[in-house]
Order: sequence, then C-alpha cells, then structure tokens
Amino acid sequence: MSSSDAHAGHHNPNLAHHFDTIEKQDHAVRLGMWLFLGTEVLLFAGLFLGYTVYRHFYHDAFHHASRSLNITLGATNTVVLITSSLSVALAYYAVKVGKRQLALGMLAFTIVCACGFLVIKYVEYAHKFHVGSLPGKWFNDPSLAKYPGANLYFTVYFLTTGLHAFHVIVGMSVLLWVAKGVYKGRYTAEYYVPVELGALYWHLVDLVWIFLFPLLYLI
Amino acid sequence: MSQPSLLADSDQPVMPAVNYLNADRGVKSWLFTLDHKRIGVMYLVSVLLAFLLGGIFAMAIRLELTTPEPTLMGANTYNRMFTLHGVVMIFLFMIPAIPGVFGNFCLPLMLGAKDVAFPRLNLLSLYLYWTGATIALAGMIMGGTDTGWTFYAPYSTTTPMTVFPVLVGVFILGFSSIVTGLNFIVTVHTLRAPGIGWMRLQLFVWAIYGTSIIQVLATPVIGLTVMLAGIERVGGFGFFDATKGGDPVLFQHMFWFYSHPAVYIMVLPSMGVVSDAIAAFSRKNVFGYKMIAYSSLGIAFVGFFAWGHHMFVSGQSPFDNGAFAVISMFVGVFTAIKVFNWVATLYRGAIAISTPLIYICGFLFFIVFGGMTGIAVATVSLDVHWHDTYFVVAHFHFIMVGAVIMGFLIALHYWFPKMFGRMYHEGWGMVASAFIVLGFNATFIPQFLVGNAGMPRRYFMYPERFTALNVASTAGASLLAFGFIIILVYLIYALLRGKIAGDNPWNSRGYEWMTTSPPPKSNFHETPVITSDPHSYQNPGEEVEHVVI
Amino acid sequence: MAHAGNEPTSKAESHAGTHGAGRYFVIWAILLAFTGITVWTGYMDLGSLNLPLAMTIASIKATLVILFFMHMTEAAGANRLVFSASFIFLFVMIIGVFGDLWTRNPMTLPSSAPSTEGPEIEVIEAHPGPAPSHH
Repeated sequence: MSSSDAHAGHHNPNLAHHFDTIEKQDHAVRLGMWLFLGTEVLLFAGLFLGYTVYRHFYHDAFHHASRSLNITLGATNTVVLITSSLSVALAYYAVKVGKRQLALGMLAFTIVCACGFLVIKYVEYAHKFHVGSLPGKWFNDPSLAKYPGANLYFTVYFLTTGLHAFHVIVGMSVLLWVAKGVYKGRYTAEYYVPVELGALYWHLVDLVWIFLFPLLYLI
Repeated sequence: MSQPSLLADSDQPVMPAVNYLNADRGVKSWLFTLDHKRIGVMYLVSVLLAFLLGGIFAMAIRLELTTPEPTLMGANTYNRMFTLHGVVMIFLFMIPAIPGVFGNFCLPLMLGAKDVAFPRLNLLSLYLYWTGATIALAGMIMGGTDTGWTFYAPYSTTTPMTVFPVLVGVFILGFSSIVTGLNFIVTVHTLRAPGIGWMRLQLFVWAIYGTSIIQVLATPVIGLTVMLAGIERVGGFGFFDATKGGDPVLFQHMFWFYSHPAVYIMVLPSMGVVSDAIAAFSRKNVFGYKMIAYSSLGIAFVGFFAWGHHMFVSGQSPFDNGAFAVISMFVGVFTAIKVFNWVATLYRGAIAISTPLIYICGFLFFIVFGGMTGIAVATVSLDVHWHDTYFVVAHFHFIMVGAVIMGFLIALHYWFPKMFGRMYHEGWGMVASAFIVLGFNATFIPQFLVGNAGMPRRYFMYPERFTALNVASTAGASLLAFGFIIILVYLIYALLRGKIAGDNPWNSRGYEWMTTSPPPKSNFHETPVITSDPHSYQNPGEEVEHVVI
Repeated sequence: MAHAGNEPTSKAESHAGTHGAGRYFVIWAILLAFTGITVWTGYMDLGSLNLPLAMTIASIKATLVILFFMHMTEAAGANRLVFSASFIFLFVMIIGVFGDLWTRNPMTLPSSAPSTEGPEIEVIEAHPGPAPSHH
C-alpha cells in the first residue's frame, strides 16, 4: 500500500518540502478535501433553503408541478449516479491494489455514466422548454397556470439541477484528470491519494442528487 | 528624543544579511512566490491600498454630511459613496486583512512550520483577492452601484445601475476567503512542530483557527446568495421577486447568514492579536488561557445562530425576532470572557508603555462600548427605534474600527520588527495613537447621539437640528484620517531607515520570535524545539519581571 | 501530554484497503433497493407523511454513501467533524428561516394572496431613468 517508511519519504517525489512524511501530507490533503466538501454542502444549502421556503408558500403548486416531471427518467438518473459511485469506488480500490487496467476501466465507466446523466437531463430540460415549464417570468405552461407559484417550482428545479449539472461536469473533468494520472503511472498502489480525492468529489455529486431526486420528483 | 526600548541585552542588534525579503530577487520571484511570508507582505500592500481607498470614500461621506443641504454631491453620488465605502472596507479590507497579512506571515512561524499546508492554494487566494477586488471596483466606479454593501433585493435585482460585476467580484473574493480559511485549518491540524500540542498553541493561532472555521462554513452561502441575485438580474427567475411569487426577505436571510458570522471573521483575529500582545506588554502570564482559547471557538459557533438580529423590522416573525435577540446576547458572553481575562492579564503586570499598548487600551475601551451597544441593539424593542439610524452605524464602527482596526494597528506595530527587521519611531507612534484614539471618539460618539435622536443612515440630507453633531463627527474623522497618515509616513520611513530591531525587540515568548527578524526563507534555521508556553513569562510563584525602559 | 498530534489519527487511514471490493457491491445493491422503495412510496398518497418518509430514505442512502463509499468509517476524526459540521449548519439555516415563515402572520405569506383569477395587475418593468443630476 502507501509507503510508510519515513526515510523513503525523503526521496518520495510526491512529498512537498514542508511536510515531514508522506503520511502527514496525505492526512493534510484529505482534511483539506473534506473541508472543501463541507463548503460544497453549504453552497447547495441555500438552494435547499429556497426549496423549503417556496414549497411552504406554494404547497399545491409544488405538488402538481412535481407530477409533471418524469419519474422514470429521474429514477434512471438516480440509478445511473449510484452505479457511477460504485464504479468510482471500485476504481479507487483498483488503484490501491495495483490493478491499473481495472482502474482505468472503472474510471471510464464512471465518466460514461456521467455523460448518460447529462443526456437524460438534457432530454428533461428540452421537454420543459417545449411545454413552457420555465422558471420565474418565463413560465407559461397552461396546464399548471391555475396553481400560483408553479413558476417558482421550476425556478428551484432549474437552479438546483443546473448547479448540480455544473458539478457533474466539474466532477467529470476531475475524473478525467485522475484517469490521465493513472494512465501515466503517476498514481499507483504507492501513491493513490489524488484518486481518493477525485472519488470523494464524485460521491458528493451523487449525494446531492440522492436528496434532489425525492424532493423534486416524489412530493 | 531617545527611543524607549525593551531590548533585553545591550548588544548591538543585527539584521540577517539574507532573509526572505532578499533571498530571491525580481518581480517574478514575488508574483509567483510560494513563500507565505512574501504572500503576507503582498496582502499587506494590497489591503493598505484598499484601506486608503475606503478611507477616501469615508471622508467623502463625512464631508458631504457637514451641512444639512447638499454639500459636495447629489443624492445618487452619495449613494455610490457609501456603497463604495462599505464594499471596499468590508470585502477588500476587513475580511482579508488580519488573516491575509498576519495569519499568513505568522501562523507557520507560530507552529514551527516551514510553510502553510498548501502554499500554491495560498498564492491562489492572493490572485483571487486581486481579481475579485478589481472586478468589484471596476463595476462600482464605472457603473455607479448604489445599492449599499448589503445589496438588498428587490432594489439590487431591478436597479438599472451596475450591480452584476460587483456581485461577481464579491463571489470571487469569497473564494479567496474560503481558500485561506481551509489552508489555515489544515495547517494548524497537521504542521505543528514537536512540542506544540493544542493547549500550547498561541492564542492568535486559536483565533485564526476559529476565524477559518467561519470562513469555510459561512462564505459559500454568500457565494450562492450573490450568484442568485446576479441570476435574478439577468434571468428574472423570481427567486427574490415578489411580483413573481418570490420573497425578498429570503435574500436578507441568506445574506445575513453569512454576513453576521462575517463580523466575527473580522473581529476574532483582532482579538487574537490582543491576546498575544497583551502578555508581552504586561510581562505576565496570560490569564485564563483556556477560557480565551475556547471562547474563540464559542464565538465561531454561536455566531452562526444570530443572523436574524439584522432583520428585526424586515417582516420577520416576532418569534424569530425574540429567538435571535436572545442568541445574540449570548454571543456577547464570549467577548466578555475575553475582556475580563485581558484585564486580569494587565492587572499587576509590568506594563511596558509603547504604541501597541496604547492601542490595546483603546481596543479594550472600544470593544466594551461597542459590545455593550451591540447588546442594546440586540434588544428588539430598542432596535425598532434604532434600526437604520446612526446609532447602529456608530455601534458597528466601534467594533469595526475601534476593535478590528485597533487590532490591525497593534499587529502592524508588534510584528513590524518581525517582518522587516526594523523598528518604527516610538515617539511618532504615540503621537499618531493620540490622533487615532481621540479622533475615533470624536467621530463616532456623536453618531450614537445623533442616531438616537433619529437621524437615519444612508441619508445625504438631514434636519437642521442634527448639524452640530454631524460637524463634530466630521471633525473627528479628520483627526482620525490625520492619525492614519502619520502612521503611514513613519512606517514607510522605518521600512527604509528605521533602527535595526534585532531578533526579539519586545522580548516576547511567542514562538515566531524564536527565529531571526526578518526570518529566513525557510522560517527556521533548525526545526525549533519547543519547551515553553508561548504566553508564559513567569514560573509559578515567580515575580513579574520588570524591564527597564 | 504535549505531542504534536500530526500523525493521522486513524491508523486505518494509511492502511485502508485491507477489505475487498465486495462490500461496494453490497452497498450498491442496498442503495438500489432503497431507491426502488422511495419511488414506490412516492406513488402512494400518504398525505403529509410523503416528504418525511422520502427524506428518511434519502438520509439512509446518503449515510451509506458517506460511510462506505466515502470511507468515513476509516476517516480521521477531524474529517468527520468537518463534514458533519457543514450539515449541522445547513439545518441551522433551514430551521432559522423556517421558524420565521411558520410563525409569520399568515396574511403576510404569498400563499394567501388573492387567486390568479383576480383583476389583472399590470407590472411596470424597470427601465433606465433619466441621467442622475450632477450637483
């Protein structure tokens, strides 16, 4: 696994000069990543707050607008993301045990899942544009016009799923970068912390969707 | 006049020939540096420029308010002045200053470390600061932003004046803050030298640690809030727009969820500076180390629960009003704990009269007054009268200027020899401090009175009967400004031709003084072996050491 | 005891991976099962229980992802504290604001606004006004 020999640390090309050992550096980098994930939770927090507020104001509108969403597509996306979480966890495991090919395969599969998620999202968005289920002042869906506040449901919908989709894209880029590192042999069983961190970010993307799915589709 | 000195020995102090300032040469070696000390110095230049700019806008405001009629400018220009003053002071100076300058410079030294945990992220935070500041300033100056620094919806989301670039600038500045906080937390957790356990950390480190927690947890919320306001401006999504079903008060909730903890980002580091300096200048063990340390965490934690006290008259429910009022008062307890411990540290100490000590005394006076008026405005029934008057303005300036900027000045004078190896002229230091302390009182005490009498804030005209107090306040502001100019002049002089300070001119026990002044590029020539507490000046039973001045 | 405390607080951090890949599949299957349950109960009409039930299931799924996929069972105490703290403040924000909404006078809420079948209200769009006068 990771080289824990303090003497080897002096020759470890991954060790920065201000850390004594690679263990301390790994610990620091992990803590930094968890802190960053904490900031991401609080970034989405404001949107979950908006959801809470406007669902409280417009209970009926939210219920009926939610009915207009395609639960099959939403559930499929949930399965896709959960499966991608599995594959990225397997990729991390594969790097740790030195199985480079498996790791690359799992990372590729994760990225494919991410693309799949975005494609399904695009289909959903296109449908909404078509029927006029748009946020705020752009809303003009006749089937929901009799529920005041329906436009705000779609405001919350587009803001939350939009920010989430942005994070999916960022996550994909991170995983591509990690895959490049695995491919070039920079991340191996001796030094795999960047893979771990990339996987953590991807799991956060999955976490947000785990909450978004029922809140948007199942109420 | 002979310069008072606390030099412990009579040897001629020497400045190390090679130190972090001259180790590498050229503009590129500064702009692309990974050395936390150089980053701290660049932050210093940047925040001082920001402070100068914010001060100019403040003088514009005060000069306009010298007469009840329009004096120098029209109403719209006045709105832009106070917006510029607020945004520049808060986002470009108060939030980044002490952590960015002294946190960056001193934190690794105080931990016996070679650098912060993530030096490249540190440089990134500086770049983000410059970028965000430039965008925000450009937006405000070229576009005439007049929303106030609070950007309340629906005005900020519908005004034809430029707001969007300022929101982008604030967003980027927020990231700079998050990155700094993240870096410091990891540094404190993972880069302590052998011998520095948690209960041996310097109190400045505890304060920075608490500040960093707030920076990391609260700043994403303002990031989202300004992002939503920006989307609202260009997209009409209705998130804060009542005509589309949205709730403008939601903006206030989200804005203040960050901006109240933000005031603790500003004041906690300043308290940390005082905790560190006060023991050195009373030559005495700090009183109640654990209480001061834990109260820093207490402020960081409880400060998150109090944001609604900015919204007592915004339509918030009476239930929430009461809850937030009680919690806000509770936060005051932690500050009070610190004040008592500081005073107890000074008590029966061998007080070394010096510029930092004068600012410490000013700080203690102002934080008590500012804090107590804070408890007063936290009382809902009183705030109904005082909200949006100069009473509130005076309260927060007592803390922002009286506590935070005093703390910044203490830090600047206390660590000036550490950073640059030279000593400033104590005589001029004391002259300036007189202008600052007296000028501050003359500026803001009249504001309490005029606010209580009913003068609203952000108004550029006022009834005749408030004239005398406003004139007094402007006169005070001039004294204050003059004091800052004196400081600028003698510090620049000291930088170029000041007396060589030696490694530890204050004979302080802080760990940052265990290396040369200025420090070498790698901070310590050998990894320090820590065997003493950083604030202890006597062993149990020992007398206070008297230093000949 | 004054020691540096820089070592990872959990030895498991540096020796992670001593378990096989099988547990990931198990967790995956459980997550899919819960997804199925939440979709199934989502179709049912349980009145005001729908949302708490969905959130409970989502929380269980999230906990599984955090503990096992994100390896929080092996993470250092500081990391756990940090991540938990972010959720705590998320709740603080929601509870604080919700406390306001719940206890406001109902007449002030948008949901008590007159129905959209009421008289047409003309909304005047903001447009750039005359140039500000210079004194």
